[in-house]
Amino acid sequence: MRRILAMLCVVACAMTGALLVRASGVDEIAERARKLHFSSIVLDTHDDTTQRFLFSKTFELGKRNPDGHVDIPRMREGGMNAIFFSIWVDGRIMGPPAVQKALDQIDAVHENVKKYSNDMAFCRTAAEVREAHKNGKIAALIGVEGGHMIGNDIRMVRVFGDLGVRYMTLSHFYNDEWADSSTDKPVHNGLTDYGKEIVREMNRQGMMVDISHVSDKTFYDALELSKAPLIASHSSCRALCNHPRDMSDDMIKALAAKGGVIQINYERSFIDQAYKDASDKYAGGVVTPKYEEEIRTKCGEDLECAGREAQKIINALIAEGKLPHVSWERIIDHIDHVAKLAGPDHVGLGSDFDGADMPDGLEDCSKLPKITEALLRKGYSEDDVRKILGGNTLRVMEQVERVSRDLQAQR
Amino acid sequence: MFRNIFMATAALCFTGGAFMTRTPRADDIAERANKLHFSSIVVDTHDDTTQRFLDGDFDLLPRNGGGSIDIPRMKEGGLGAIFFSIWIPSKITGPEAVKHALDQIDAVREQVRKHPKEITLATTAGEIREARKNGKIAALMGVEGGHMIASDLGMLRSYATLGVRYMTLTHSGNDEWADSSTDKAVHNGLSDLGRDVVREMNRLGVMVDISHVSDKTFYDALEVSKAPLIASHSSCRAICDAPRNMTDQMIKDFAAKGGVIQINYHVGFLSQEFRDAEKADPEINKAISLEVQKRCGDKEGCQLIEGDKITREYVEKGKLPHVDWTKIIEHIDHAVKVGGVDHVGLGSDFDGANMPYGMEDASKLPKITEALLHKGYSEGDVRKILGENTLRVMAEVERVSREMNAVR
Repeated sequence: MRRILAMLCVVACAMTGALLVRASGVDEIAERARKLHFSSIVLDTHDDTTQRFLFSKTFELGKRNPDGHVDIPRMREGGMNAIFFSIWVDGRIMGPPAVQKALDQIDAVHENVKKYSNDMAFCRTAAEVREAHKNGKIAALIGVEGGHMIGNDIRMVRVFGDLGVRYMTLSHFYNDEWADSSTDKPVHNGLTDYGKEIVREMNRQGMMVDISHVSDKTFYDALELSKAPLIASHSSCRALCNHPRDMSDDMIKALAAKGGVIQINYERSFIDQAYKDASDKYAGGVVTPKYEEEIRTKCGEDLECAGREAQKIINALIAEGKLPHVSWERIIDHIDHVAKLAGPDHVGLGSDFDGADMPDGLEDCSKLPKITEALLRKGYSEDDVRKILGGNTLRVMEQVERVSRDLQAQR
Repeated sequence: MFRNIFMATAALCFTGGAFMTRTPRADDIAERANKLHFSSIVVDTHDDTTQRFLDGDFDLLPRNGGGSIDIPRMKEGGLGAIFFSIWIPSKITGPEAVKHALDQIDAVREQVRKHPKEITLATTAGEIREARKNGKIAALMGVEGGHMIASDLGMLRSYATLGVRYMTLTHSGNDEWADSSTDKAVHNGLSDLGRDVVREMNRLGVMVDISHVSDKTFYDALEVSKAPLIASHSSCRAICDAPRNMTDQMIKDFAAKGGVIQINYHVGFLSQEFRDAEKADPEINKAISLEVQKRCGDKEGCQLIEGDKITREYVEKGKLPHVDWTKIIEHIDHAVKVGGVDHVGLGSDFDGANMPYGMEDASKLPKITEALLHKGYSEGDVRKILGENTLRVMAEVERVSREMNAVR
C-alpha cells in the first residue's frame, strides 16, 4: 500500500518535472544528457569486434572504419569508454582446438590494446576501469562466450583468468559438456556436477558467471550455486520479445534478488517480436539461419566474409518487406521494462555490436548518447542513468572480486 | 700471448697469497663453502618436477621419498630459484600440445598458489632477488620444446603472459620450424618461421634456449637473437660426446655473445663411459623402458622418477658404470676454461634424468660450491656459476625486450 502511494507520488513528481522541463525547452535535456553521458563510465559487456582482429583484412581498431560497429574513433564519439571484447569460437568446435582458438583471440585483444596503448588500457578489475577512465583511456576487458572453450577442463578456467578473462558465458548456442544452452535440446538438466565445480572455480577466480545463452534450468542452477552475483552479458526481455535467448520476468527478478545485472542486447530478433517472428519465418532465426550452408560454402572459415554475406541477405529481406524495420527505441523499452520489474540497479548495456543486427538509429557505438537522452526524457534520474550506463556492472565486478578474495583466503 | 703472460702472473700471485696466509684446511673450506652457498642465489634452470604435479598424488610441500625436488630439500640444498619445465613429447603437436602445455603451466601456478609462504612466482631477475629477500623460493617456468606453440606466435605470447621465461626451441624431435640434435635435419636449422619465433621471443623477453637443438639451429639462433642465449640443461661434448652437449666451439661462440651453458647432471651426458656402455648394449635401455612402462603406465611424472631408480638398479648389478657427482664439476670447470667463468651455470635436469651418485637430489647442491672452492675458484666466481650468470642473462634479455618494445 505504502509502495503504491510512493509510486503515485513519483509519477506526479515526474509529470511536474516534465512540465517544468518543457517550459525551459527540450534542448536543456539534450545538454544535460550530453554532459551526463560524457562524464559517465559507459560500459558495454559484449562486443564481437575480436573476430575482426583475426579475420578482417581491412579493419583497424585505431581508425574510423566504414563498416562494423566499433572502433576507437566511434567509441570516443559515442562515449563508450569500457568494453568487454568477446572471445567466441563456434560451439561445435570443442576440446583442445577450441582452447587454442580462444587463446588466439585473447592474444589478439592484448596485442590490439598494446598497439593502441595511448587510447586503451587493459583492465581486470572495477578499480582498473575507474582508473582508466580517470586517465582518459578506454578500458578493455575480456569475456569468453561459451564454456566449450575450456575444453571440458576446469584448469582452463584458471588459465583464462590468469590471461585476464573476467567473465565466461556458461554455454553458447549449443550445449557444452557440462551446461545446457537455451537454443539446444537439454541433455544435462541444467548444470552437471562438473559444471557446478566450474561455477565454484569461477567464483574463486573472480570471473563473472554469465548466464546469457544458457537454458532456464542452467540459469537457476548457476544462480543457486554461485556465491557472487551473476550477469546476463547480452540478453533482453522475453516479456517484450519471446526469444529463448532473452530472460523471463521471473528470471530477471531472481537474478536481481541476488544482485545480478541483465545487460540489454540490441539484436533486432531479441528486442522486437515482429522482427523475431518474421526472421524465424523467412531467415530461420539467428540460431539456425537458413542461409548458413550457403555462406559456409562461400566464405569457409572467414568469419568477416560470413558476417558480410549474412548482412547482405538480411538487407535484401528487409528491402523485400519480409523483415520489418526495428527502431533503436526498442532498446529503451527493454531497459525500462527491467528497471520497472527489478529496479534500476539491475540493468546495463550489452550491445552485441559486431555480432548482431542493430536496430535503426543505433547503427554503431557512436549513437550511444541517444540512450542517455532517452532515459532522461523518460524521467530517469541522472544517478539511475549512470548506473544503467555502467555503474551496475562495475558494482557486480566489485562484488565478484570481494567473493574471490574471501574464497581464496579460506583456502 | 699477452693473455698467457697475464694468466701466469695471476697464478703466481694466487700461490703467493695462499702461502702468506696458511694452507687452507679442508674444514676451513667447508665452512666458507657453507656460508657462500647459503648466501648466494642458487638458480637451477631445468627441473622436470612439473610432470609429478599432474600425476595427482605429488605435492611440493612435504619431503618426498622419491625424486629430487620438494620444498624441504630445496631449502636444505639452498636452491633459491627453480625453472619448472613445461614438457610434452615432441610427437604431440598442434592444439593437443598447446592444451597439455597449459595444463602444466596451470599446475605450476597452482602449486605456487597453494604454498604462498614458501614459494612465489617470478618472471624477472628482479623478482628472483625480491623473492630471496622475502625468504621465498622463486618459481619460474621454461617451455621445453617449440612444438608446444603449434606454429602459432600467439601461443608464445600467451605462454609469456602466463609467466614462461624461456623456451627450448626443440625437444628430441624436430618441430615445425627448427631441427633437433637428436632427429634427422629437415629445416637446415631454423626455418623462416623459426627466425620469427626467435625475434618474437626477444621482443617478449623470453630467453632463447638452445639445449636439444641441432648445431645448425644453434648457430642460426645465435645469429638471429638480439639477446644472449642459454643452454638450459646441456653439458660439454669434449668430455662426453653426446649430441645433446655443446662443442667447445659452440660454447666459445655463444659466450662471446653473453650466453650461459647450464650444466646438465644426467649421467649419459656427463660420462663418456656411461654413454659407451648404453650404446654397447641397447637391450639395457629397452629393458629399462619396459620396466618403467610396467610400473607407471602413462603417468609421465612416475616414468621419470622410476627411470632413474631402475637405471641405478642396473648400475648396482654392474651392467652400467657408476658415475660420480664430481663429473659435474669437471664439466663446469671445462666450460669455464673454454668459455669463461661468466658463461656457466646449473641446469640439473632433476626429476627428468639419471642423477650421478652423490647428487641424488637438490639437498646435495652445497657440495658443488665446496668442490669449486677446493678447485681454487674465487667466491665471486662461484656465485656467478651458482646463479648470477643466469640472472645476468635474464636482466639482459629483459633490457632487449624493453628496447624492442620502445621502438615498436
